[in-house]
Amino acid sequence: MNPSGSVPRRRQGMDYGESEDVQKVHAAIQREKQEPRVGLEPLSLWLIGIYALAIFFGGAYLGRFSGSFSGDSLDPGTVPTKSHGAGPGGGGQQQTAELSPAERGKKVFMANCAVCHQASGLGSQSQGYPPLAGSEITNGGSRRAAMVVMKGLQGPITVKGQKFGSAVMQPWESLGDQKVADVLTYERQEWGNHGSPVTKEQIAALRKELASHPGSFVEADLHAAPDEDLPGGEQQGAAPPKPGEQAKPGAPPQGSPPPSTPGAQPPKP
Amino acid sequence: MKGFTPLVLGILATLAFSWLGLAYIPDLQIGHLDPQSDEEGTDIYPMPKSGMAERGRGVYVANGCFYCHSEQLRPDYAASDIERPRDAAPSAPPKWGDRRSAPRDYIFDRPALLGKMRMGPDLANIGKAAPAEEEAAPAQASPGPPAAPAASPPASNASPPPANAGAQQNAKPAARPSPQTPAAAPPAANASASPANVAAQQGAKPGAQPPAPPASAGSPPQTAAAPSPAASPSDSPAAYSAAWHHQHLYAPRSLNLDSDMPAYKFLYEKRRVGGEQSADAIKLRGERAPGEGWEIVPTYDAKCLVAYLMSLNQSHPLNEVKSAAAAPAGSPAAAKPAAK
Amino acid sequence: MNPTEIPLKSPGSVTDLSIGDVEQVERALIDASTRVPVLMFYASAVVWLLLGTLLAGFTSFKLHSPDLLSNVAVLTWGRIRPAHLNVMLYGWASMVGMGTAIWLMARLCRTTLRHPLVLVTGGAFWNLGVLLGVIGILAGDSTGYHWLEFPSYAAVVLFVAYSIIASWAVLMFRFRRGDPIYITQWYLLAAFLWFPWMYLAAQTMLFIVPVQGVLQAAVNWWYANNLLFLWFGSLALGTAYYMIPKVIGRPVYSYHLAAIGFWTYAFFASWTGMQRLVDGPFPAWMITASIAAMILCIIPVATVGLNHHMTMRGYFPLMRYSPTLRFTVFGAMSYTAFSLLGVVISLRSFARYLQFSEVSSAYSHLGLYAFFSMIMFGAMYYIVPRLVGREWRFASLIKIHFWASVYGIGLMTLMLIAGGMVQGLNMDNPTLPFTESTQSVLPYLRGRSLSGILMTVAHFVFAYHFLLMLLGLGRTASVPTFLNPVNPEPGEMVAH
Repeated sequence: MNPSGSVPRRRQGMDYGESEDVQKVHAAIQREKQEPRVGLEPLSLWLIGIYALAIFFGGAYLGRFSGSFSGDSLDPGTVPTKSHGAGPGGGGQQQTAELSPAERGKKVFMANCAVCHQASGLGSQSQGYPPLAGSEITNGGSRRAAMVVMKGLQGPITVKGQKFGSAVMQPWESLGDQKVADVLTYERQEWGNHGSPVTKEQIAALRKELASHPGSFVEADLHAAPDEDLPGGEQQGAAPPKPGEQAKPGAPPQGSPPPSTPGAQPPKP
Repeated sequence: MKGFTPLVLGILATLAFSWLGLAYIPDLQIGHLDPQSDEEGTDIYPMPKSGMAERGRGVYVANGCFYCHSEQLRPDYAASDIERPRDAAPSAPPKWGDRRSAPRDYIFDRPALLGKMRMGPDLANIGKAAPAEEEAAPAQASPGPPAAPAASPPASNASPPPANAGAQQNAKPAARPSPQTPAAAPPAANASASPANVAAQQGAKPGAQPPAPPASAGSPPQTAAAPSPAASPSDSPAAYSAAWHHQHLYAPRSLNLDSDMPAYKFLYEKRRVGGEQSADAIKLRGERAPGEGWEIVPTYDAKCLVAYLMSLNQSHPLNEVKSAAAAPAGSPAAAKPAAK
Repeated sequence: MNPTEIPLKSPGSVTDLSIGDVEQVERALIDASTRVPVLMFYASAVVWLLLGTLLAGFTSFKLHSPDLLSNVAVLTWGRIRPAHLNVMLYGWASMVGMGTAIWLMARLCRTTLRHPLVLVTGGAFWNLGVLLGVIGILAGDSTGYHWLEFPSYAAVVLFVAYSIIASWAVLMFRFRRGDPIYITQWYLLAAFLWFPWMYLAAQTMLFIVPVQGVLQAAVNWWYANNLLFLWFGSLALGTAYYMIPKVIGRPVYSYHLAAIGFWTYAFFASWTGMQRLVDGPFPAWMITASIAAMILCIIPVATVGLNHHMTMRGYFPLMRYSPTLRFTVFGAMSYTAFSLLGVVISLRSFARYLQFSEVSSAYSHLGLYAFFSMIMFGAMYYIVPRLVGREWRFASLIKIHFWASVYGIGLMTLMLIAGGMVQGLNMDNPTLPFTESTQSVLPYLRGRSLSGILMTVAHFVFAYHFLLMLLGLGRTASVPTFLNPVNPEPGEMVAH
């Protein structure tokens, strides 16, 4: 990269009328102004104001809608919780051990039961699915509820004063003891219900008990069974069923079941 | 500014920062996802695509389909992607999807064809929109349709081969299949259809399929409805079936006059009918028809492309994404357990 | 025209060399050394521009008339469109940008370019790469990634070519004379360093060690937005920072503004990739980060805009005369418009409607044409006379070029934004059939084709004019080609 000067260099190609003599500079260069330089004016206050606004809004947007910078939150406003399940690196399996029984049960419920009983636990009068929210069976002793889940239910049943007859519930014992126990635990403490939790040992015992009972239950079978919790499990947390409620199928509904949606709705940005 | 080195370092650092943030860290977060499976290790989703569908993706890419079609559904709070019904199905059209797309849906896709523009509808669930074979299949009893040669899909599809006879689809009296609103269609669909069709409609889960033609193995060869004297789409294949896709690729405006899609005639070949017309020949009418003794059949690339389209299905629930609440349909005892 | 009133330096005699004259001789030498490679880059770029424009015409017309020439595989819309895009990106824009950058680097580093045939080789390889790539796309080998459709065999050639070109440019920088590094040099050096990294990162993460699933799209758009901002945007801004003060003969307004503008641009613009994937299947923070980065990009936009504006203040009338100034200032103003549009379409509330509509196309074209290409046209109008020793022959052709381009891109932007809004609003309404949204945008697409005709005229006129210059048929004159006759007021400075 020689500096300019001494010896005129041979130019290659494309010599459009420029002579060999380097000293004769063509007019374009002659009339050129000097190469650009930079002044040193200070920043204007207005500009700093614009910076501040941009940083504020940009930063606020970033803070508000980042979903905690987690790889799991696809929704901008949601903070991910464990119960929303699959983090990176595996299906639900690896998370299962960290979830509570009710959270596991919720997954089972959503996958299997919500189709008919609805995510809100309200069921559908017209279709014949009884509600689980505030239901005597769900809130009562776990035996009856477990019988229904394990073996299914046929024929009419009265829940919360209403009669449901048209639908048939299939048996769910094929889910396995843990899942049945979890889903019972979930439905017994969701939507304002206050039933006791259920463990898989209890279900296993019940399964043995019911091994000889091939078909579904009917309402009469349920009433014939004692309205008690299954023996042998831990009783944690949930209040024992109030006395006298279960005895009357026509009892008024207890509490209003809050709707439960699987994921928080993020605010509109 | 003085100094070559600080300048260069600063330049490289800024790009490194953005690369770390938008490429590397996301790779740590969502770059190594496994498919989801339930505890028994069954019901794995998603699965890698079959050979034909994989090759079909190559055809899709080579012809730039992704410049007009997206394959991503946005959540319901952000857009109305999920609830949008498909245009071509005349009644009870399937929606674009059950849920938003999630990263796990694309782990086996290369390239992941999310798309950027929608001159045509989103295709994330186009495979799901295909009519399925009905289990209880009443025979076709439409009055007087001749047993026209079937345009049934080639058997090599990876996904459930859709039934094809589109009799009741086609019973709309000379109406274009789309852009009519779906409301216009059901009365027409019932008009000439067999009673069996109505039962099939009631039995079908809403949102799962269009009123699928209840053709099945037991029924006579798939038929198309009677060609009316005026050229009408009355003999179109069932919406979103493989045959429909073939016809749509070959001549989009034969199925939808408003379609802006280019024709992909080069994916099909015209050849002489040998003896009997091929099972996968495209049925065309009027001036599009190839003429006496000729037929239009798909090339292998076209079959692969359609196999790919039929494999596009993101409706499988994912734990991390909320699915639209499934509306119960009919007795739960009759339905298979919804645990998928 | 009254040449004597225009302040020109009369040629000094051979023996009478003042400092200024030495500088002029130096510049002449530098220009002479850069002549062959830069003209070769420019010539290639113009050829690709013409090809890309024809492909653009096909693309635009076929989009609203899909049966046009639809039976041929090579001409199907899905292949023509990426062919057009890649020819414009890597054929026209990259080559004109690199050619301009070489000349600017040589001038600013005050070094003559040694062994210019190295650059010529690099340019030839680059041309080969683009040619291979376009043929590959039309033959069906497109990779499926936006703005990266060239198949691998072409990408490799491009990368090799780039290494040759960039190393030469950076070497010039390394051996520069003079201590302070001028603003343009920051931008150009940055562009030359950023491009290989972003290209290599994209090729690696998409093809060599591919990332999984949706990350491909994230990397893809990280690359595409970086190409737009950190490669093309940097080249254009650097060029504008040279041309504006050079032509009007005043210093750039403020060093501090320039420094802030540069670093905030580098910092924020590289994060904006996910703006093209709003509400897609990604962790929300990625998308939010890009949107926030777009908002923060207001900082460099305001800064650079203010800097240019204050530099130009009082000198806007010179745009009447100088083609370079006209094109460059139009480009710089478009930069502001383009950035503001980018912020608006990224926000989730607007992206809801506009995400999958033609507005995205308007945004890209605003950036690549109204901003980048117009600045490059201005640069060519300045540089080419210095390389061929002649002035542009017909002021009228320059005017046709300018106005056809301005009306063309203006109409195109208007049509695509309006059409995109209609399309997006219809698309968001699930009670309407989807086809309704497509139908509603078709009239606007026809309007866009009309604008394409204007731009085609502009480009062919420019190419013809450029050809005249290459053939030595420019004007021999000591005054530049002004767009309007010069009748300066006493004391008024005239450009060039």
